[in-house]
Amino acid sequence: MEIKKSAIAGTLESSDVQIMLSTGKNGFEFELESDVAKQFGDQIKETIVNVLKKYKIENAEIRVIDKGALDMVIKARAITAAQRALDIVDTPQWEVL
Amino acid sequence: MDEKIQDIYLTNKKMRKKWQAFLEERGIKNFAENEVNLIQQTIGIFNEQDELIATGSLAGNVIKYVAVCDVISETKGARFNKIISELENRLSQVECFHYFVYTKPMYQKSFEHVGFKLLAATSLGILMEKGTPNITDYIASIPHFPIKKRIASIVMNANPFTKGHRFLVEKAASENDYVYVFVVNQDASLFKTNERIELIKRGTADLKNVVVVNGGDYMVSYVSFASYFIKNTDQIIKYQTMLDAKIFKNNIIKPLGITSRYLGSEPFSHTTSLYNDALKKELGNDIQVIIVPRKKISGVTVSATKVREAIATGNFGEFTDYVPKTTADYIIQNMENIQLRIRERAEN
Repeated sequence: MEIKKSAIAGTLESSDVQIMLSTGKNGFEFELESDVAKQFGDQIKETIVNVLKKYKIENAEIRVIDKGALDMVIKARAITAAQRALDIVDTPQWEVL
Repeated sequence: MDEKIQDIYLTNKKMRKKWQAFLEERGIKNFAENEVNLIQQTIGIFNEQDELIATGSLAGNVIKYVAVCDVISETKGARFNKIISELENRLSQVECFHYFVYTKPMYQKSFEHVGFKLLAATSLGILMEKGTPNITDYIASIPHFPIKKRIASIVMNANPFTKGHRFLVEKAASENDYVYVFVVNQDASLFKTNERIELIKRGTADLKNVVVVNGGDYMVSYVSFASYFIKNTDQIIKYQTMLDAKIFKNNIIKPLGITSRYLGSEPFSHTTSLYNDALKKELGNDIQVIIVPRKKISGVTVSATKVREAIATGNFGEFTDYVPKTTADYIIQNMENIQLRIRERAEN
């Protein structure tokens, strides 16, 4: 699926993560800002990529501001961002969950 | 602790006073009506005693008037992050995913922590951006010329494109291998952005080494240089012109291989003449800044202002000499529509 419009989900508050998705051309391009990027950067990216793949998204620019979110929070925010970016908020793909 | 985010309506005099006092205590001093009037929404965090403890505002795609009280806060920066989150959510609701913030140099780190990147810095204030499409995307969207060539740049509003503009472009085109004409993107002028771009393109179509591109948010816009469009004090104009010049210096010159910038001398507008001074000072060490005396026809300096006045009074016939045929044809074809717009603008 192609991302048609940019979308954002999450907040910058402690224990949360803000994910912005926009149209990309070359696979998944990440920009990650996190105090724990060194320790958990790859894991954060992997969690998001797994969600996007389930939505059959192949290209995206992904901007992530992590404030120490746990895996399930990252997943939840990624799902919301993906649904918004694909403009399918009204018809959520429950099977992805 | 129960802290809640609320809208602040600045039209409410009591609230406005409270809000302004809160900001003034934290060193924000510019409350000129022109600036404050640009604000579209303001939010605040209030504590249990209904005291204001954090605030931020939006003016188009610019985040402004952010201040936070961190006393008796659970975590340092929590309120700041909350305010910025809420402002970003509101921007996303209007499908705005690229925005800016003006702030003091000391807050650069705080904004970097929430994903903003520096565009330009002066001792008085800095400009940062976040989101997409950003400056990198903007540069990538512009045609690139071979490096090591003489590449000139001109930034113009061209409201509308006159023989004066044409003269400046022609001179740059004859003295350089390539010329970028960056067109002011802000739709705040009588002639709309797409009209201004189109008239420049038509009026320079014969000059093969000239490319006309939209200047985006980065050249003379509400973001980079709001005083071009609204009245302000000299101190603010000087600060904004310096910032606009630095954005150009830090982000535009190198990736595009620009070697000079051409300016028209400015006998009429005080603001533009301050802008020319700032450009000379900021860019002078990196590229050639060439100020070209304004073109005169029968001893009279050509200016777009005169052309607009002539359209307003219906004396355009006398001024067709001031504009190239491409612009004249367009104005004559759309005379009624443009005059209507002038009347509407006068009423507002």
